[in-house]
Amino acid sequence: MRTLVFRLALGLALGACGKSGDGDKPGAGTGASPRDAVIDAWKAAKLGPSAMAPATVTFAKDCQAGTVGTIEVLLCSFGSPADARAAEDPGLAWVGAATGASRAHGSVLVVLADRKKADPSGRTINQLMKLAPN
Amino acid sequence: MSRTVAAVATLVALLVLAGHAGSADAAGRQVRYVGIHPVPKSEGGGICYIEGPHVHVFDADKVQYRDHHGANYFVGDPVAYGYDGQRYVYKGHHPIHVNVVVGDDEPDDEYCYINGPHYHYFAPPEGPEFRVAGDAYFYVGEPPHAYIEARPAMMRINAVYQPLAYERPVVTVDAPEGWIGARAELSGPAVVVEPPRAAVVVEPPRAAVAPARAGVTVQGFIPTPSLHIGVGIGIGSPGVIVHERAPAVIVRERPVIIHERPVIVHERPVIVHERPVIIHERAKVQHDNNHRSPHDHR
Repeated sequence: MRTLVFRLALGLALGACGKSGDGDKPGAGTGASPRDAVIDAWKAAKLGPSAMAPATVTFAKDCQAGTVGTIEVLLCSFGSPADARAAEDPGLAWVGAATGASRAHGSVLVVLADRKKADPSGRTINQLMKLAPN
Repeated sequence: MSRTVAAVATLVALLVLAGHAGSADAAGRQVRYVGIHPVPKSEGGGICYIEGPHVHVFDADKVQYRDHHGANYFVGDPVAYGYDGQRYVYKGHHPIHVNVVVGDDEPDDEYCYINGPHYHYFAPPEGPEFRVAGDAYFYVGEPPHAYIEARPAMMRINAVYQPLAYERPVVTVDAPEGWIGARAELSGPAVVVEPPRAAVVVEPPRAAVAPARAGVTVQGFIPTPSLHIGVGIGIGSPGVIVHERAPAVIVRERPVIIHERPVIVHERPVIVHERPVIIHERAKVQHDNNHRSPHDHR
């Protein structure tokens, strides 16, 4: 039973990770996907992003959600920067009734939401957006 | 076993949560902003430092914000609301090239109508339309029709800043030639600001034609953020044109009316209620010692 449950969990996790689209392909010569590059940039600034989990949204097929401090984060990979830009407005739907932002950084759509109202000055959101590579 | 089950439950919960978060909360109405702006007091006050496009669930006013492709762009002085970042001093009205400030490709020129010295968090782009004097930017360009047309309505922004107490920049240098604040033809519909206890009457200056070279603008101003008195003298061929500029700000002495309130003394009548003295005469009752009470028991 224990093995079965473990395999189920592993299968779910691998299956979710396996949904990564074209946008998550490693960049030429960099060894990291554009989404990883965003996360790495935040890590480098010691902002400590949480582990990202697959997320299902209506405006993108390959998204992962997590947190950076008190800010909720959604990173969606697209096939091209133009596709990511086109998803900026729909991305605001994920923000909902909160302070937030949705911007394309290359082929990655970065969506941030301060649902806990813990960043009233918006400094963290501003820093996260500015650190994300284009 | 229990740890494994918990891990699965967490994973499933995350997936469900992620899916749920994908739909926008219809209860709160998103309002789009771009650039740094103040946060309303009702929302905690202070400054929002998000430079790029973003959303809040509170509204923007129509005097301190302009529309930039569907987003509210703040054209006021952020220092008045507690902004503590990089700042630049301007004096008088000037254009703001919003697309340059926010870094997008769609041209959008808006105008700041704050009188006198004030701050913005951006410097103007290099070019001939601004000149620097005393570490302050002065607009010396040719203001377009859009600026003049919106001026009467947008000058209301000065009524917003007048009561705000904050450290304003002090600009003591003479404005450079061609400064918009000294141009007579732009004195147009002025805003009359009547300070609460103004006792100074500022009269429009008399035009004085001084020996001047062609194209020279002579100006005089009181170095106060809200008062500008300017005389523009444009001398050029073929004739001499003398513009007498009406004061942009008219300070009227407000009469002090003291309403003397009559003092009414209500005299309360003193009513003395004389209490009748009632004397109850106690009747003398002679007890018959031989009378036996029914309670007597022997």
